[in-house]
Amino acid sequence: MRVIFLAFLLLAAAPAIAQRVQADIDCKPAKGLMTYDCVIRLSRGGKPLEGVEVSVGADMPSMPMAHNVKPVKAAPGPKPGEYRARLELEMSGEWAVKLRLSGAVRDQIIVKRNFD
Amino acid sequence: MFFDLIQNTLDGLAMGSSYALLAVGFTLIFGVLRRVNLSYGPAIMFGGYCATWVHLNFQAGLLALAIITIAGAVLAGAYVERLCFAPHRQGSAIAAMVASFALWMQFEEAVTLVMPSHVYDFPAMYDGPPFEFGSLTLRMEALVMLACAVAISYGLHRVLSGSRFGLAVRAVIDSPVAAQLAGIDVPRVLLQVFLLASSIGGLAGYLIVSTHTQITPMLGMWSTLKGLLAMMIGGLGSLPGAVAGGLVLGVLEAHSQWFLGPQSRDLLAFLLLFGLLAVRPYGLWRASSAEAEA
Amino acid sequence: MSEYAIGVFTNIGLISFIALSAYLLLIAGEMSFGQQGFFGVGAYVAGVATAMYGIPLPVAALLAMAAGAAAAFLVGLPTLRLRGLYFAMATLAAAEMLRIVFELIHFQREVEGEPVGPDGTQGFRGIRWVFEAGIEPQDFLAIVWASLALALAMFVIVERSRLGATLRMLGEDPELARSLGIQVERFKLGIAAAAGALAGLGGALYAHHNTYIEPRNFDIMLGVHSLAYALIGGLGTVFGPLLGVLIDIGLLEGSRVFQGYRMIVFGGLVAVLLVFRPRGLLDERFVHRLRHRMFRQT
Repeated sequence: MRVIFLAFLLLAAAPAIAQRVQADIDCKPAKGLMTYDCVIRLSRGGKPLEGVEVSVGADMPSMPMAHNVKPVKAAPGPKPGEYRARLELEMSGEWAVKLRLSGAVRDQIIVKRNFD
Repeated sequence: MFFDLIQNTLDGLAMGSSYALLAVGFTLIFGVLRRVNLSYGPAIMFGGYCATWVHLNFQAGLLALAIITIAGAVLAGAYVERLCFAPHRQGSAIAAMVASFALWMQFEEAVTLVMPSHVYDFPAMYDGPPFEFGSLTLRMEALVMLACAVAISYGLHRVLSGSRFGLAVRAVIDSPVAAQLAGIDVPRVLLQVFLLASSIGGLAGYLIVSTHTQITPMLGMWSTLKGLLAMMIGGLGSLPGAVAGGLVLGVLEAHSQWFLGPQSRDLLAFLLLFGLLAVRPYGLWRASSAEAEA
Repeated sequence: MSEYAIGVFTNIGLISFIALSAYLLLIAGEMSFGQQGFFGVGAYVAGVATAMYGIPLPVAALLAMAAGAAAAFLVGLPTLRLRGLYFAMATLAAAEMLRIVFELIHFQREVEGEPVGPDGTQGFRGIRWVFEAGIEPQDFLAIVWASLALALAMFVIVERSRLGATLRMLGEDPELARSLGIQVERFKLGIAAAAGALAGLGGALYAHHNTYIEPRNFDIMLGVHSLAYALIGGLGTVFGPLLGVLIDIGLLEGSRVFQGYRMIVFGGLVAVLLVFRPRGLLDERFVHRLRHRMFRQT
């Protein structure tokens, strides 16, 4: 039943009209090996985006799928549209940080950052 | 315009001389073992990082750094030979190639574990001004590299055609079975060839990083690809061909970079490799088996 | 399942496509260093189809398979007659050419007031079909594994048929195959195209899982990993490549015991394993013995 539902969903899904979410991320090294404290700022149409659930993961651009960084939930920060998360990476280099939004807005945004 | 063409050609020869050196070591391994060693470049990078580490932690002269680079590359080469090539001597060339890639990953991770920054400075071999002919310039290091490439390929030619070791190598190339029957210790000859090629690679690596005055983990892949390309262009298994192939590749890249940009330069280089393999799979100037000395 | 577990299993499923693609060529006696190129073609084609033209994902995935097959066919045409190492190098060159072509493509279109499409080295953002369709991560996981199961089923059927026997004969003794009247070149082209389609499908799913792709995703690392997975897992059965993926991504990466030096462990494992079992853990002999034992017991 679920399969049929899924198949139906796949064929009939219509794109929802909504403005894209913009994301910005700022990371500072924290205590611990390859650990970073990140501040994520989300906005949509120039206004801060509040009240979404953000899960932060990461992948390496050159060797995708092979690094499974455990996604962490970001906590809302002091300012509207701000979220905080602590990332634990596996090695230095360029990472594609994966922000998965759920709740009020469903989306996924990739931000590329260099971690030295 | 005309001036640009000449300057590009000179720049290309400068770059090409490092390709030529890389290709000589690559060709030696391929010519004797008929195997592709993908870890050739990563072993060179390993040597370069050894020298960089010494440079960062101790005072070391240029000669010492060169020797450490070569020693590191030879050490890494010996490891590669024992684990990837000696066991597959009679077996599959493909298994050896994949195994050599597996060790590539090891070298890359080992190096970044000890030295995690993306780029490290490396002392320059020569600080002075480039050679000038009128308004044309040629970097001094390029001349050193070109001289090394020519001298090493000539020296190798002499060793292979004249010495006892060379005789043994040629016997192994002709027929490993017959060589074994004639009392030649084939595995030992192959190991020696491998170490010789690694030391040439190490020298190439030292000259390259001291010319660029920096080292990154990308050096491994870069050296393998450029060495492979130059070897293909030069006709697999021919030492003078490897030198010529490196220079041709360098000049071609310099011109295409100037006229088309860096991405098209790389595209053209791979197109050339692909085209050569499709049209003339055994090299552009195919040496007959009698001529293929190494 | 936790979000983390879903992510890991989705990755295992996705990377299995390219491992299977490498496996298909390996059992036919060809080693390709270039399947990552076709994986990339599939990713870009499917991404363009859904994000820029609003085509549903299933149709886009079919387009990606067709494009992957066509690309693999074109690459195979001049190179499949080459022997071993030469074919490996030619496919590597082809895949690197494809990657640079991805870097050169700037092809964008306004969608909902924003430019969408491949933007050279900046990558291709906003392949959001899965999100717009409201497909949850666990549903996407089901889609990936259902597609993979379909591919595996096809492999099992083919391997039990005459076609499968021909395939293995081609890998072991092409001269024998030729003397039996099999058109080796044509047959291999067909296999290369099928392997390209498989990689293309994997790429299409990957692009939609990640929502963002860039040329660097499809460099030599991905290709050689896929080869290594097939080779360590074993060439005796289609479950070999899957075992290879499980060992690396599931065991080494997932367990985090070797965090920080997993490549050293995996690299050493591959090299040592190839010494003792050059055709992998589940090689032909092992599979044969296993079948024999199972047959005797029933």
